Amino acid sequence: MSDSTINAPASLAAMPSKRTIDVVNAGLAKRYRAEKRFRIYGVTAIILSLCFLTLLFVDIISKGYTAFWQTKVRIDVHLDPEVLQGENLQTADYPGLVKKSIRNLFPDVQGRKDRRLLNGIVSSGAAFQIRDLVTANPDRIGSTVQLWVPADDDVDMLMKGHMPRDVPEDERRLNDKQLAWIDQLQREGRLQKTFNRILFTVGDSREPELAGIMGAVMGSVYTLLITLVLSFPIGVATAVYLEEFAPKNPWTDLVEVNINNLAAVPSIVFGLLGLAVFLNFFGLPRSAPLVGGLVLTLMTLPTIIIASRAALKAVPPSVREAALGIGASKTQMVTHHVLPLALPGMLTGTIIGMAQALGETAPLLMIGMVAFIVDIPGGFTDPSTVLPVQIYLWADSPERAFVEKTSAAIMVLLAFLMTMNALAVFLRKRFERRW
Amino acid sequence: MKKLVVIGIALIALVGFTSALQAQSARDYISIVGSSTVYPFATVVAEQFGKTSGFKTPTIESTGSGGGLKLFCAGVGVEHPDITNASRRIKKSEFDTCQQNGVKDIIEVKIGYDGIVMANSKKSAPMKLTRKDIFMALAKDVPDPSGAEKLVPNPYKTWKDVNPDLPDKKIVVLGPPPTSGTRDAFVELAMEGGAKKFDYVKNLDKKMFKATAHTIREDGAYVEAGENDNLIVQKLEKDPDALGIFGFSFLDQNADKIQGSFVDGVAPTFDAIAAGDYPVSRPLYFYVKGAHVGSIPGIDAYLKEFTAEKAWGEDGYLSDKGLIPMPDEERKKFASDARSLNPLMLQ
Amino acid sequence: MEASQTAVNGAASATASQLLVDRSHRETIGQQFVENPRMTCRNVDVYYGDKRAINNVTLDIGSNEVIAMIGPSGCGKSTFLRCLNRMNDYIDICRVEGEIRLDGQNIYSGEVDVVPLRAMIGMVFQKPNPFPKSIYDNIAYGPKIHGLVATKSETDEVVETSLKKAGLWEEVKDRLDQPGTGLSGGQQQRLCIARTIAVNPEVILMDEPCSALDPIATSVIEDLIDELREQYTIAIVTHSMQQASRVSQRTAYFHLGDLIEVGTTDQIFTRPGHQLTEDYITGRFG
Repeated sequence: MSDSTINAPASLAAMPSKRTIDVVNAGLAKRYRAEKRFRIYGVTAIILSLCFLTLLFVDIISKGYTAFWQTKVRIDVHLDPEVLQGENLQTADYPGLVKKSIRNLFPDVQGRKDRRLLNGIVSSGAAFQIRDLVTANPDRIGSTVQLWVPADDDVDMLMKGHMPRDVPEDERRLNDKQLAWIDQLQREGRLQKTFNRILFTVGDSREPELAGIMGAVMGSVYTLLITLVLSFPIGVATAVYLEEFAPKNPWTDLVEVNINNLAAVPSIVFGLLGLAVFLNFFGLPRSAPLVGGLVLTLMTLPTIIIASRAALKAVPPSVREAALGIGASKTQMVTHHVLPLALPGMLTGTIIGMAQALGETAPLLMIGMVAFIVDIPGGFTDPSTVLPVQIYLWADSPERAFVEKTSAAIMVLLAFLMTMNALAVFLRKRFERRW
Repeated sequence: MKKLVVIGIALIALVGFTSALQAQSARDYISIVGSSTVYPFATVVAEQFGKTSGFKTPTIESTGSGGGLKLFCAGVGVEHPDITNASRRIKKSEFDTCQQNGVKDIIEVKIGYDGIVMANSKKSAPMKLTRKDIFMALAKDVPDPSGAEKLVPNPYKTWKDVNPDLPDKKIVVLGPPPTSGTRDAFVELAMEGGAKKFDYVKNLDKKMFKATAHTIREDGAYVEAGENDNLIVQKLEKDPDALGIFGFSFLDQNADKIQGSFVDGVAPTFDAIAAGDYPVSRPLYFYVKGAHVGSIPGIDAYLKEFTAEKAWGEDGYLSDKGLIPMPDEERKKFASDARSLNPLMLQ
Repeated sequence: MEASQTAVNGAASATASQLLVDRSHRETIGQQFVENPRMTCRNVDVYYGDKRAINNVTLDIGSNEVIAMIGPSGCGKSTFLRCLNRMNDYIDICRVEGEIRLDGQNIYSGEVDVVPLRAMIGMVFQKPNPFPKSIYDNIAYGPKIHGLVATKSETDEVVETSLKKAGLWEEVKDRLDQPGTGLSGGQQQRLCIARTIAVNPEVILMDEPCSALDPIATSVIEDLIDELREQYTIAIVTHSMQQASRVSQRTAYFHLGDLIEVGTTDQIFTRPGHQLTEDYITGRFG
């Protein structure tokens, strides 16, 4: 301190009574404390949000990971030529074959009621599995085949530990007899848990063990494809026109205000609009990804337009001047220079919009996409549903086994989202001029 | 490159719209709308039908009974649904709308019964309620406890206040919102039934009576828990003192966690509801558009599947899902009506 | 004219200031006109909304000369420069009155299209602003959009000659595919000049081209400007009086939107005719 006094210029010494350095030093500790506090707030906020995210993931994954496995029962089915004769192999009594096979495993079970309970151990899907086998290989009629068929959802729940054994019999979905049969099957090695292929290959079903999300995934794919193909070019074109070409007047102000308003409109309103315009006026089919995509396009457009305009605004004026100064026309300036530079920002906006669209159910309710649809859609006009709707429908189903399916579907949705975001990052990296 | 993208977009749009028009001119699947209560049953039938009949699987939207009938009655043609499910009978006004819009032949099919249960967690004792208790505990205005013949805002805080025989627990009931068919049926069957126990309330004019019996208290004792019955079940587990209102199928599926309350001395069991002993149960229906039979493929086959014994019979797969079957006689009548496509007449 | 002749004793002399034109005099003095003008500006007013930024400027720009425009900040010299190739067109509130002719053709008349106009009057900006593309593409862009080149070899040739003219060829010939933004500031500015001359313009406008550069890069650019004068007419706006005196033949002094004095660079810096000019070049303000 003393030598700084020496260095102080004489002219300054006369002016203030206190030297700047002393004032600064006196307040320094306080300033650093404030800085530290601020940093702690920031870190706390991040930790907190990470905790919630972890909680969410842990909850979903812990509930849902079991859904990726499925309990199967091995039965020996005699493809009885007596049953399978006649021209129409489609309508033969396959459930009868299944029942007979199960009964052969437990020959001493008697009585109508007990037999019904026994048949309930195997999913009704077993009959369709046999039908498909026979249709594909008619030459195997007459032989006995060993088949792993899905177990009933109650059995599956028991095997996965979601159903307690130690409660009184009348409080269980499976009674003591059924438990004994299941235990016997397990001792004989006729029960096993395998990867749940059904979940990823088929559409919805009311039997949890036969329900899959492929239908919803394809529905989401078709819907988002329509949304992307429409909303990206329209949104970018709108943004470019408004930002680069439109004259500044009350009309364009009005358009701008309305676009911003639209971004805040509740999505259900777009559903009502879609119902009125696309279904009632244009007469497009209900429950179709085409209409869903159109409605979601309306919903996503404001997001894309706003993000794209921000991206265009962020392009430095020097680039525009450079292009104009060389004699590029306005359109050439925009398409050759401004647009490529704004594209990464536009893509980000589009992906945010698409992610929003992917998670949307409310507007789809009005146009009939919240529906029970079994067949996997094969095109833009086939009835279909989307992933979030599937989650909602499963969450609302009474069967216990749908709880884990719901979580599994959420995981698939999240994976879908992550893929989309990864794709966006990849595209951005490719388009981004890193100079 | 840019040109290719533009052409690609144009092509996709073109293909989309032309295929839309094609799809519109010939819908080859059945479109079903309507009640969320019937939804779990109709979907099972639809799935079974889709897998066995060779027709496409019908699409089923859960729009609520009223919403379904509105869509159903909007007109004849492929853009309108073929079948609507309902957890109540079609109203005269709805029937008239249908007629006005050219929906002339409507085939009514009653499919069975659904019990509405009040349940609580297995951690506490089952409740033994009467419909009078339910009315007194949940109505917004109840008869004056002092015995005077007037209505006062519901003063009861605990079940013991309502009925000294009941436990001294706070009244907390989780139930569906007013848009739900389950709520409609609940107020109609349980609350009205309870209100009728008071002679002077019963003798009020029809409008006043309905207002009294149908209005649920809004002071926090009745909690609207949304349409998701699984959520109510989860909340009941957390709060052993609370009661929940939902369809029988949810009680059936969660029998290890929750138990149904006795109403007027009858427990909500499959047999009791089927026998008609349990008072809070209602019939379920679906309605078929006669004009679409033949033009939309598979409707008659779907009717056949639904009305087959293996579906809605005593041991049918619908009873596994919690549908309470009709007595044999009634089943036979509705099955034959459905198969011969007898149109509904309302005067 | 008279004023400049009377101011014989040089700018720095305090006694000479009595002989100078008074500060309040705002009519342009000096040699506004040249014999063989490339561009002629007559009574040019520029407005930003209601505010007049340029006030009644009349000035000729001769062929193959470098004319420097100097003046304190906000004097309107850049605004005036940008009028010369209609860069102000895209500023909505900007309005230009009077006439500016290039080879006798009024560039603000309805028949003149800005695209060919800017191909004839190129511009180099204050901050080096190469396109975020490769060095090669930066140069090739202008010739390509104007259709000056048809084949790859023609393009290669234009790129090479332009870079050579800008004195950048030796430094970048091995890395033409590298980003133009990766060059140093001085190189970037020379790239921008090369980009401008690749279109083969007749006039080049330079808006403080060296203000973002260090002295060495500046001197390279200044040498370049001197060489370019043989082929092009150059108008340069600069803050640096030394630069003006080094590169230009004529100098115009702007003050608060008025063109105060025009003359040969030599005359302006040694015998200014106007009190304001004298104040500025002697560092009394600016």
